[in-house]
Amino acid sequence: MTVTAEAVDARPSAGVPLLQAEGVIMRFGGLTAVNNVNMTVNEGEIVGLIGPNGAGKTTFFNCLTGMYKPTEGHVRLSGVELPPKPRAVVKAGMARTFQNIRLFANMTALENVMVGRYCRTSSGAFTSIVHGPKFKREEAETRERAQELLDFVGLGTSTDHLARNMPYGNQRRLEIARALATDPKLVLLDEPTAGMNPLETRQASELIFKIRDSGLAVVVIEHDMRFIFNLCDRVLCLVRGETLVEGTPDEVQSDHRVIEAYIGTGTDDEDDDDGPDDGTAAGAQDAEDTP
Amino acid sequence: MTVVLVAITVEAGGLVNIEPGGWISFLGAVLLFAASRLVLPKETRDLAQARLPGWAEILVIVILMAAILFGTAYALGLTDAWAFVLFLMLVTGVVITGIRAGLLSWLGHVTTRHKHVLTLAAFAVAFFFPFTQNGSDANMSIASQVLIFAAAAMGLNIVVGLAGLLDLGYIAFLGAGAYVGATLSTSAFATIGWKPPFMVVVLVGACVSGTLGLIIGAPTLRVSGDYLAIVTLGFGEIFRLSMFNLDGNNGPNLTHGPNGVPAIPDLTFGSFNFGDTHDLLGIPLARFSNYYFLLLVLIAFIILVFSRLNNSRIGRGWVAIREDEKAAEAMGVNVFGLKILAFVVGAFLAGMAGTIKAHQDVSVTPDQYIFLESAFLLAAIVLGGMGTVAGVLIGAVILKLLPEKLRFFADYRLLLFGLLLVLMMRFRPEGLVASRRRQLEFHEEDEELAVRVEGDIAEVVI
Repeated sequence: MTVTAEAVDARPSAGVPLLQAEGVIMRFGGLTAVNNVNMTVNEGEIVGLIGPNGAGKTTFFNCLTGMYKPTEGHVRLSGVELPPKPRAVVKAGMARTFQNIRLFANMTALENVMVGRYCRTSSGAFTSIVHGPKFKREEAETRERAQELLDFVGLGTSTDHLARNMPYGNQRRLEIARALATDPKLVLLDEPTAGMNPLETRQASELIFKIRDSGLAVVVIEHDMRFIFNLCDRVLCLVRGETLVEGTPDEVQSDHRVIEAYIGTGTDDEDDDDGPDDGTAAGAQDAEDTP
Repeated sequence: MTVVLVAITVEAGGLVNIEPGGWISFLGAVLLFAASRLVLPKETRDLAQARLPGWAEILVIVILMAAILFGTAYALGLTDAWAFVLFLMLVTGVVITGIRAGLLSWLGHVTTRHKHVLTLAAFAVAFFFPFTQNGSDANMSIASQVLIFAAAAMGLNIVVGLAGLLDLGYIAFLGAGAYVGATLSTSAFATIGWKPPFMVVVLVGACVSGTLGLIIGAPTLRVSGDYLAIVTLGFGEIFRLSMFNLDGNNGPNLTHGPNGVPAIPDLTFGSFNFGDTHDLLGIPLARFSNYYFLLLVLIAFIILVFSRLNNSRIGRGWVAIREDEKAAEAMGVNVFGLKILAFVVGAFLAGMAGTIKAHQDVSVTPDQYIFLESAFLLAAIVLGGMGTVAGVLIGAVILKLLPEKLRFFADYRLLLFGLLLVLMMRFRPEGLVASRRRQLEFHEEDEELAVRVEGDIAEVVI
């Protein structure tokens, strides 16, 4: 972990807030899936977002990335308010991956990453048709950068493989490469190790450190506790759409409320069944399944 | 061949009247059929892998193209409908045998290895076709109709094949171009006084059509799938009815309503009049041949636009949208903008084709632009292979040429096309010539196919 420690020290701008989400509320009809969540991500920081199933993690992600328009609240990136449009959010410098992989299955690995470059290139129809100098330059740059990124995530030899033919772990990596291709300042990873074996999980955390060391901030949604506590500088625990605890991994790990939320107690379970919040959790779960 | 004998029997009034040649060819057909059954599937795969030296493969393409050229000329020369049907069956038989023997998939590999040769050869064939007609204009009339249809189909292919938008009113854009071409022509019935040179008319027609595309696209492209199909269908009808009613009774007289704009004179470029017969290499080329060459240039342009857009950042964006619209949006692809672009470019190209069509058809009337024409354009794309150049051209030729030659089928035309399309959807949904990406999209579960396609990609890259 020495590399990581050095990187932490070397971060020039640690502590400068990059992403600020304030009072984000997301209601679906009468259900409040995300209730008044605040989150700050500083430059060069890895922040974990944990919580039991249906806690509203993915819904919160969708609010951040403009897939949903939050009912209330603000999301700012580098102090600039983000409009609730995915494309504008990407352009502003925040890219994401999906909980259930959403690659362009019938494109090759390289083409997938090249699509990620779309928002950083601007060749129009005319120059594309006449093969103008701008088209040639941008096309070469796009190809080169895409190959670089594939090398970066360790898929340098799978360039011409179809995304749908790739092993599961590699598809996750490819999705990260595609997100990185948009030149983000902040990457949001939605369960990057879901369905992975321990080896792949370890490789994933190495990759995330590598991304951080290249100067980006990372937000990770995860269920794997060991993974997240090893990885993150700070952890935010969501339960039923509300922030339960926020702090360093150690603080969160030892907080009895977190343990309760995950494992539950006998009385708590009963509360769950009768409690008014039950519907909320179910609603949030639905929302997570639909993005 | 059995059908042949039956046909001859029916025509000639009995089996007795069949000439020896008929029996010989029947025997030959039976032998061929038996042979095709005996070909082992294993060999099929081997043949697909086979490679000849580069020059030999190029030679194969040239021979194939020459065969197509003379075959088409011969087929068009057949005046007897039954003879034409028999010829078609012969071709079908050859193709089926080719497929069974793996020859066609081998040809597919050869043609991907020598793309430029194929393109050049195809254009050479198309270019030399009028010279095989000895100045007869009957077939050239059909051929130029086919080219207009093919040009429109290629334009629609950008919308349907690349961007994946279902447009059922596309013929309206061709119509818009045709009406611009007609009203800006020197016809006595043209309603606009401005008579610019034809190159300007083409541009104006294309721009008017493209603007229409923008106006229609901007509000309607917010809906997708079936809804978009309905809205565009409605737009196609609106266009036709507008042209029908702009006759001076309701609003300005632009189009002479149901009478349309008749007597559109032939094009002239300098001293070159498209209506006259010109001699080239001793072979007379009449009116329709002249339009044929002009349309060939247009199609070359459309193919250029199509393939260059397809192989650019924009083409990648379109594929991404087809694959997963939400993910594309989340990766920063301008989904709405790209859809509009496809719509406008498609309309623009149709407008260009329309201006030429106006002069070639001599008159423009609203009933040339009915919904059925849009449906046929779409059918040509589906039949030939969405998103491919060769496929759509073949589809267009089939759908336009067959009805012209098989006039006695006219009553059953729609029935036959319906049947053909149903069979295609069942057995080969990706069309006659499949783009590899479309093939993958239509066979999501076929792992073997995916692996094979991956091998093909590697081959192209090498």
